[in-house]
Amino acid sequence: MRAADSQGSFLNRISIRRNQVVSMDGNHEQDLEDLELFQKHVADRFSDLLSSSSEDAADALLSISWLRKLVDVFLCCEAEFKAILVMGRDPSQISKPSVDRLVPEYFDRVLKALDVCNAVSHGLESVRHYQKLTEIAITALEHRPIGDGQQPQAAERTWSFGRRSAVNRDRAAAGQFRSLSWNMAKGWSASKQIQAMSTNLVAPRGGESSGLASPVYVMSTVTVFVMWALVAAIPCQERNGLPTYFPVPRQLVWAQPMIALQEKIAEEWKKKKEKNRLAGLLEETQRLERLGQSLIEFADSFQFPGETERLEEVAAQVAELAETCKKMEEGLVPLQQQIRELFHKLVKSRTEVLELLDQSGKLSASTM
Amino acid sequence: MEPPEDSRLPLDAAEKIILRWDSTASEEARERMIFESDRQEVDRYLQAVDEIQRSLSSTTLSGDESQSANKVNSTIQIAMARLEDEFRNILLSHTSPIEADSLTTTSAEPGSSTHSPAASPSTELDDLVDDHFGEEDHPDNSGRSSYRSTSSIREVDLVPFDAILDLRSIADRMISAGYLRECIQVYGSVRKSAVDASFRRLGVEKLSIGDIQRLEWEQLEVKIRRWIRAAKVSVRVLFASEKKLCEQIFEGVGTAVDDACFMETVKGPAIQLFNFAEAISISRRSPEKLFKILDLHDALMDLIPDIDVVFESKSSESIRIQAAEILSRLAEAARGTLSEFENAVLREPSKVPVPGGTIHPLTRYVMNYISLISDYKQTLNELIVSKPSAGSRYSGDPTTPDMEFAELEEKTPLALHLIWVIVILQFNLEGKSKHYKDTSLAHLFMMNNVHYIVQKVKGSSELREMIGDDYLKKLTGKLRQAATNYQRATWVSVLYCLRDEGLHVSGSFSSGVSKSALRERFKSFNAMFEEVHRTQATWLVPDTQLREELRISISEKLIPAYRSFLGRFRIHIESGKHPENYIKYSVEDLEIAVLDFFEGYPVSLHLRRRSQ
Repeated sequence: MRAADSQGSFLNRISIRRNQVVSMDGNHEQDLEDLELFQKHVADRFSDLLSSSSEDAADALLSISWLRKLVDVFLCCEAEFKAILVMGRDPSQISKPSVDRLVPEYFDRVLKALDVCNAVSHGLESVRHYQKLTEIAITALEHRPIGDGQQPQAAERTWSFGRRSAVNRDRAAAGQFRSLSWNMAKGWSASKQIQAMSTNLVAPRGGESSGLASPVYVMSTVTVFVMWALVAAIPCQERNGLPTYFPVPRQLVWAQPMIALQEKIAEEWKKKKEKNRLAGLLEETQRLERLGQSLIEFADSFQFPGETERLEEVAAQVAELAETCKKMEEGLVPLQQQIRELFHKLVKSRTEVLELLDQSGKLSASTM
Repeated sequence: MEPPEDSRLPLDAAEKIILRWDSTASEEARERMIFESDRQEVDRYLQAVDEIQRSLSSTTLSGDESQSANKVNSTIQIAMARLEDEFRNILLSHTSPIEADSLTTTSAEPGSSTHSPAASPSTELDDLVDDHFGEEDHPDNSGRSSYRSTSSIREVDLVPFDAILDLRSIADRMISAGYLRECIQVYGSVRKSAVDASFRRLGVEKLSIGDIQRLEWEQLEVKIRRWIRAAKVSVRVLFASEKKLCEQIFEGVGTAVDDACFMETVKGPAIQLFNFAEAISISRRSPEKLFKILDLHDALMDLIPDIDVVFESKSSESIRIQAAEILSRLAEAARGTLSEFENAVLREPSKVPVPGGTIHPLTRYVMNYISLISDYKQTLNELIVSKPSAGSRYSGDPTTPDMEFAELEEKTPLALHLIWVIVILQFNLEGKSKHYKDTSLAHLFMMNNVHYIVQKVKGSSELREMIGDDYLKKLTGKLRQAATNYQRATWVSVLYCLRDEGLHVSGSFSSGVSKSALRERFKSFNAMFEEVHRTQATWLVPDTQLREELRISISEKLIPAYRSFLGRFRIHIESGKHPENYIKYSVEDLEIAVLDFFEGYPVSLHLRRRSQ
């Protein structure tokens, strides 16, 4: 670290301490500083996500690598939020309305998010399954010599056999989302869960906005958005009726990037018809679906021997399928691990903060 | 294994056999299954496959792309598709969930199950289900040790041996032809639904975290108990048996294929199983949850060695990790719950004084709770490692008692916590005692409650051993102090009436007793005693022995004092007018009246008075 840097941060620390010492009940100033910084970081991080989604093909919106970035962003925001909640803040100073309502509401949302994490984990398993079935289909398509012209009969038999099995596999792959036995509790619904998480998500007004109300609102919004995006991308139990409207006031500056992302994703969601949404908006599964569909059409209408360009096109599509599967193979497991980490962080924060508030005698016994 | 040259099938004969069984080409091929036909048919088919395989590898090696090479290629595809169907069919026809009462399989030869005891399979499963289910029937105390019993993995033969041989022969060929993925897929999908069905039988439920938070704790306790039973059978029997099946079919065939199949089959169910325990570990801390959480913790801890064995491969690492995470969360939950309990005791806010100064429900609850804690001390001693966060002597915080742990250095952290709980219980009780308007009653209340604490500690050898005799002595001292305080508060003023001073008058004409003062004394005594008697008869000392001791202690002071007073001064009263207005009670009357004290019933003294 350069000397100037370390000096700068040292001075920062000094000035913060001074604030805390001098203004004993001027914590209000400190709160505002914390809040502004937090909001800025949120805006910056989501802005990154927004720009990466349009510029970089590798991080296309709702691709696996984009989702991994999204989860990372969430973890950063959560860590900052937790610091605001517990550090340098005397628990007994937390205002009563915050404690009675806002904090429990926030952790209620966190609990719901935990279920969403589990549902998404299951969903990722089924995506992996889809990937594996597709890989089988690809093998069937790749290894069948087509159009070598030598002995039409034999070649045709090979090809027709190959395409039949590939078609069957692919249909099986796409159809599996319909018949998948869902792993969440009976009657659990991802879309209802997201809806429930969005209730009472109301920006604090004027007088309320001091103390904890604003950071809690910011973090709640981030939580709901990230969970919503994950549910939109990854197939999980019962996503019919997923809300596409985000109850965040447009004029909030820090929320702009998030709102922009949400609009983009909502557009994608609306484009897909109901029955086609089962596989989720995950960029890779979309690609598998599209290519698979095209190959099925090709196979169904294929007359032996095919035209060369068509055959070349097919070969390219098969290659693209294989490439996509490879990306999935590399990215899905890390994503699953990140979701699990997210789960842990949320549990840990919730436990720690609730204990802290309990000990200072603030929470009533009726809190869940 | 290469058969000798002359018994090998010629290539076109092999092809014919394969094509005959092409289910896309012939109705008959669709309707019958090779492996359900006679053995010869099976052997012929497998031989045919082998022959095609052999010629495929040789044409590949030679780079031959001629017509025959193509033909071989397509034939192998047909054969693989067929084999896949056969594989699925064999699996399906031997798949049923584990039965509690009887096994569906089992022509298992003794040598085939290397891990399970040689007893016949059906009784084996009965025994083992009984073992697992029966453990729960013990009442809490003796059943405690069952959660820490040694583990035992018992694998069960899920599929008969000859079916396994068939499956193996198919898998072998599919995998060497490069159809590994297909094989794993088929296997996984059939076995997974078998595991799901077994889960349903075991009562493993799919509950979301939200569901679990919403349930009443009593309902959850039932589910936890059921889960513990189900988890043991799941890990030790169900998953272990699935693993064995994978090994039987796939071991040695390709690298780690058996692991892949095993994971394909059980990963989802295993995660679903552990999600329940995880959800419990996340729930809000509340004192009544402690003991079931400890049960869950102990059961899981018991299972971890088995989990580590069953899920030992690299690909199942995430399951092992999750189990370990849940265990540590349960430990955290236990610690947090104990903290929560201590908090709750300290801040229990009820202000309504218990009528009659008897034992407060809080005292009963706390002492029962810590008795139960001492039952769980084996686990808790491992989990509780830090001292209680007592108020420091210098904190000046009036809402928390002080406690120095210096003199209690050899005690385990758990023991310190228990002592701390008793300290804060007393502290809370003292606060409650101040709500009594009558200070005597306040002291009696403390006496009753501290006595109860002492009795409870003495009554449990584990508790006594942890609390220690030193602290017990302190408590007993407090008890005596409370009794003394009571006596002073009530009886000093009563006995004051019976004092000598002020009664004697020395004057010029007669040195004697002031009759008017004496009359006043008797009147005061009577009034006071009546009042005390009337009031304190309704007070309650529930413990018989304590009640007796207190009454005796009162009598020891009261009776001699009254007797002596009467003896010295009755003459003066009896020589005057209406002595009965002043000497209302005999010594015996008082003795009998004392017996009314602390019974908890209202009585009237007048009924007791012996006729003069």
